[in-house]
Amino acid sequence: MNLLQFALSNLYRRPARTLLTISAIALGIAAVVALTSISWGFEASWQKANDARGTDLIITRLASENTMPSPFAAEKIQQQLTQYPHVKQVAGLLSEMLTIGADTPPMFVFGWEHGSYLWEHLKLLEGRWPSDRAEPAVALGMLAAELLHKKPGDQVEIEGQMFLVVGLFQSPALVENGAVLMTLDQAQRVTDKPGKVNVLNIELDDAATEADIQQIRSQVNTGLRGFTAITSGELVSQNAVVRISKAMSHATILIASLVGALVVFNTMLMSISERTREIGVLLALGWQRRTVIKLVVSESVLLTLAGGCIGIVLGLGITWGLEHLELMRGKIDAVFSVPFLGATLGLSVLLGICGSLYPAFKAARLLPSHALRQE
Amino acid sequence: MHASPTPVLSTRNLALHFDEGRTRALDGVDLDIQEGEFVAITGPSGCGKSSLLNLVGTLDNPTSGELFFRGQSYSEFRELSLFRRENIGFVFQSFNLIPTLTALDNVIVPTIGRSGTANGHQEQARALLQQMGLQDRLSHFPAQMSGGERQRVSIARALINNPTVILADEPTGSLDSANAAHVLDVLVRMRQERALTIVMVTHDAGVSARADRVIRMRDGKIEPDDRRAAA
Repeated sequence: MNLLQFALSNLYRRPARTLLTISAIALGIAAVVALTSISWGFEASWQKANDARGTDLIITRLASENTMPSPFAAEKIQQQLTQYPHVKQVAGLLSEMLTIGADTPPMFVFGWEHGSYLWEHLKLLEGRWPSDRAEPAVALGMLAAELLHKKPGDQVEIEGQMFLVVGLFQSPALVENGAVLMTLDQAQRVTDKPGKVNVLNIELDDAATEADIQQIRSQVNTGLRGFTAITSGELVSQNAVVRISKAMSHATILIASLVGALVVFNTMLMSISERTREIGVLLALGWQRRTVIKLVVSESVLLTLAGGCIGIVLGLGITWGLEHLELMRGKIDAVFSVPFLGATLGLSVLLGICGSLYPAFKAARLLPSHALRQE
Repeated sequence: MHASPTPVLSTRNLALHFDEGRTRALDGVDLDIQEGEFVAITGPSGCGKSSLLNLVGTLDNPTSGELFFRGQSYSEFRELSLFRRENIGFVFQSFNLIPTLTALDNVIVPTIGRSGTANGHQEQARALLQQMGLQDRLSHFPAQMSGGERQRVSIARALINNPTVILADEPTGSLDSANAAHVLDVLVRMRQERALTIVMVTHDAGVSARADRVIRMRDGKIEPDDRRAAA
C-alpha cells in the first residue's frame, strides 16, 4: 500500500460525502465545459462564415457592437469605397433574426446583394438561386429547411409576406446552414429598411498586400466619418453576443472555481476534523508532517480529478444535447479542443490543491498527544 | 538486561504543566532507562504516567526540563517525527488501528513516506504478522479480529520501522486475562529477539511483575523509593 492507495481507501470510507463532493465538482466543471465550448463555438461559427465568404474588410458603424451592427444607408459609402485602390467588389449585407412560421424557433434571415461574391462559397444542393434582385424568393440552408420542413417549391411566410423557396444550399458554417437567404433588396423590403445594410463587405483583388489593407483601413477611418474598416475576426470579437457569451463563460469559470474550492475546503476540513485522532496516530507512528499534508492534498486532488473527469463528460453530453435540441438547432456549434479539456482538468486539480491546503496544514500542525485524546 | 554506560532514554527535571501552572501533570521527573531494559510505570490514574510516555515519545512538548536519547538532547534532533519513526514504536491501549485497512495494510502504514520499495515493506509486514501468529489474518479488517489479535497487529505495526524503544500505554488494559498474557508474551519475546527497550504504563500487577524494574508515580513525580533506582 502506498500513499495514493491509502488516500483512496480514506475516500471509500465516506462514500456518500465523496460522491456528493465529486458531483458538486462535476457540475461546476460541466458548466465550464458547456458554456465555454458554446461561447467559442459561437465565435468560431461566425468567423467561419465570414472567412468562407472571402471578405477581406468589413465596413461598419464605428461603435457598433450589437449582435448585428446597426443598419446604415449604404449607397454613397459603397460608391466611395469602389474608388479605393485594389477594391474588387463591395457587397451590402442585411440580416435579422426573425420568426418564420408559428412552430419554429427564430432564425437568421440574410439579405445579400444579388450577384455579389457573397453567394459564391455556398453549394447549391437543390433548385436555384433567386433569379433577380426583385424576386420574392428565398434559398434555405439545409438545417433551416429541415427545421422548417420546407423544400424548393414550398412557400414560407416572413413578417407577413410570402416567399417562394427556390433553392436548398449547404455552407461550411453552421450559422449559414441554419439561415434563410434572400436578396438584399428583398431583405430591405421585408424588414422595412430600404437602402440600408448592417455591413459592407469588401473583396480586394489578388494584388492587394497587407500594406494596402492597412492603407484602406486608414482611408476609411479618416475619410468616412462615423465608420470603420475592420477584419471579419474583429467584427466577430466585438459582436455583443460573442462578448456576452464570453463574459458568461468567464463568470462561470470564476464561480465554479470559487464554489469548487469551497466545497473541497469544507469536505477536507470535515474529513480531517473527523479523523483528528487517526492523524494523531499517524504522527505517533512516525509520519512526517509533510506526509500528512501529502495525504490530505492527495485525497482532495483525487476527489477533484474524479469530479473533473465526470464533469468533462457531462459537459460534452450537455453540449451535445443542446446542439440537438429543436429550439437550439443551428445556433450552437460548440468547439472543443484537447488543450481546453486538459486545462479544465488542470483547473480541477488546482481546485483540489487550493481547497485542501488549509485543512492539510491544519492536520499537519496537530500535536500528536492532543490529537490522540480526541474521540 | 544489558547494562549500558549511556542510558537509551533520560529525563532531567522534566515538567509538564497546564492551566498556567495550576495543573502539574509532571513535576521535575529525573529518569534513566538503560538499553534493553523492560520498565513498567505504575501509579494511580492522573499521576502522569501517560504524560511521561508522551513526552519521551515526542508526542507532546514539555513545559521545562530535558530529554535525551543515548545522551543526545531531543532539542538537537532536526525533525522529531523522523526521530520518532526511526527509534520509537507505540502500542496503545485502544489499538488505534485504521478500521478500513486490513491487518497487513495497518502494519504497512508507518512505512508510507519512508524509503524502500512497497514490496519490501509488504514482505516485512507479512513476516511480522507471521511472528505474531497472525498469518491467517492478513486480509482481515480490525472489526473481524479479537482484541488480542488487534493488539498483536498493533505490536507488529510498532515494530515495522525497527525501533529501539517500544512505548506501550496500557497495552493489555482492554484485554481479558488470557489475551493480555498472550500479548505480554509476544512483547517479551520481541524484546529478546530484537534487543528492544520497553517502557510500559500499566495498572496490572501481573504485567509489572514481568518487568525488570517498576517505577511508581504519584502527583506527577516518581515516588522516592523508585527515584533512587531510576536516576
